[in-house]
Amino acid sequence: MSSIEGKDVRKLIVACDAGMGSSVMLASTLRRQLKGTPVSVEHTPVNSIPGDADVVVCHTGLADRARASAPGVVLVPFQVFIGDPAVARIVTAIKNGGTIDG
Amino acid sequence: MATPYTPTVHGTGVRATIQRFGGHLAGMIMPNIGAFIAWGLITALFIPTGWMPNKALAELVDPIIKVLLPVLIGYTGGRMVHAQRGAVVGAVATMGVVVGADVPMFLGAMIIGPLAALILKYVDRFTSERTRAGFEMLVDNFTAGIVGAVTAIAGVLAIGPVVEKFTDVAGSGVEWLIAHSLLPIASVIIEPAKVLFLNNAINHGVLGPLGVAESVKHGKSILFMLESNPGPGLGLLIAYLLFGPRSLRPSTPAAMIIHFFGGIHEIYFPYVLMKPRLILAVVAGGAAGVLTFLVTGAGLVATPSPGSIFAYMAVTPKGGWFGVIAGIVVATAVSFAVAAALLGFGRANGDKADDPAQDAVPHDTDDTTTSTNDDNRDTTGETAAESVPATKEA
Repeated sequence: MSSIEGKDVRKLIVACDAGMGSSVMLASTLRRQLKGTPVSVEHTPVNSIPGDADVVVCHTGLADRARASAPGVVLVPFQVFIGDPAVARIVTAIKNGGTIDG
Repeated sequence: MATPYTPTVHGTGVRATIQRFGGHLAGMIMPNIGAFIAWGLITALFIPTGWMPNKALAELVDPIIKVLLPVLIGYTGGRMVHAQRGAVVGAVATMGVVVGADVPMFLGAMIIGPLAALILKYVDRFTSERTRAGFEMLVDNFTAGIVGAVTAIAGVLAIGPVVEKFTDVAGSGVEWLIAHSLLPIASVIIEPAKVLFLNNAINHGVLGPLGVAESVKHGKSILFMLESNPGPGLGLLIAYLLFGPRSLRPSTPAAMIIHFFGGIHEIYFPYVLMKPRLILAVVAGGAAGVLTFLVTGAGLVATPSPGSIFAYMAVTPKGGWFGVIAGIVVATAVSFAVAAALLGFGRANGDKADDPAQDAVPHDTDDTTTSTNDDNRDTTGETAAESVPATKEA
């Protein structure tokens, strides 16, 4: 299990099946929440997560594929698209410090 | 990581494999949806039965669907395998299956585009070690040219005819299902597969290509609406709003808006995955919707993507509104009724249903969603935090 300190996160990837629908939505929410931090939020298809990603966020139903596509990267799966506690915890860890476990 | 909120990822390798394969199919189509919509709009407007028939502009319809769209798919498929060089040979090879074909060669493009790119990838691997300095450009250009030419020829002679035969068989299979009114049964497969994140694979990988072939022939197709109907998801969310676990209710109006108007269906999948028996509700809603589409003879010109009510309206052929809207409303109502019953009308969660209006029409609840949405947006984080354990107990 890998983990990363919230303050070390630079690139956060939101992944979904096509990289065009739900990931874009969640990415824009996160981008708004992380405004003022040095973190850049991007959305990609789950099959093409870039290698320099620090943290990957995706739905549990796609986590297997995300793990295969980005081995070793901190992966945070979530269950609901609006206000999932796992996602909220990432935001807190980045803003206030703390460890993100994946 | 194994907190109560995010349990260790389960799910079999098979499911991930199917998702990945389907993802590749959808990945060739989805980046090109804009071109599909352009074609759909031009078709809906300018064909002889369209809103403003125009012979000169209708000339656009055939070349776009038969050449441009397959070539774009082949290009995108090639790019997935071998970047820009793969994209180029993918596009060239796709021309091979396109010429002489009577049906839109989407399936052929999805096969030959990546295949040509894969061949070039192996050729590149072979030549890159053996090329002398200074000759790279010459070799690269000619390997790509030769692979493109050869795969295009193979497309004309071998792959094209085989795929055309296959498309014909699949098309007549679908027509048989429609003729025997068996299409609603498809929902039994489609709706569960959808919430397992196979939605794009099914809609864009399978139904879309078949639907386009039918749409070219008959001017519309019901196949575009099998997976993309926003009704079942909306009905489910309304049931959650009225009868779901109390802690989950505040987040549903925003989900409804994103789902029904924004067309991002993924938003409702978690609500099904939390209470898997609710799959019955979306299956029933989906089947009822398909049946309504069948009975009213509804169809769409092009694929509505994303599956939003706005996209639906945009690709509805002239005079086809009634059937399309009826199918969505019926699907919403049936899905809502079944989901409400499965949720025990709120009592099963230990709290009383605060709204006994079980026959609430979708439109009524839509109004409430818009008005309450803003209030909820800020608080959803907290509510969901409480909600997940609550559903576990329920």
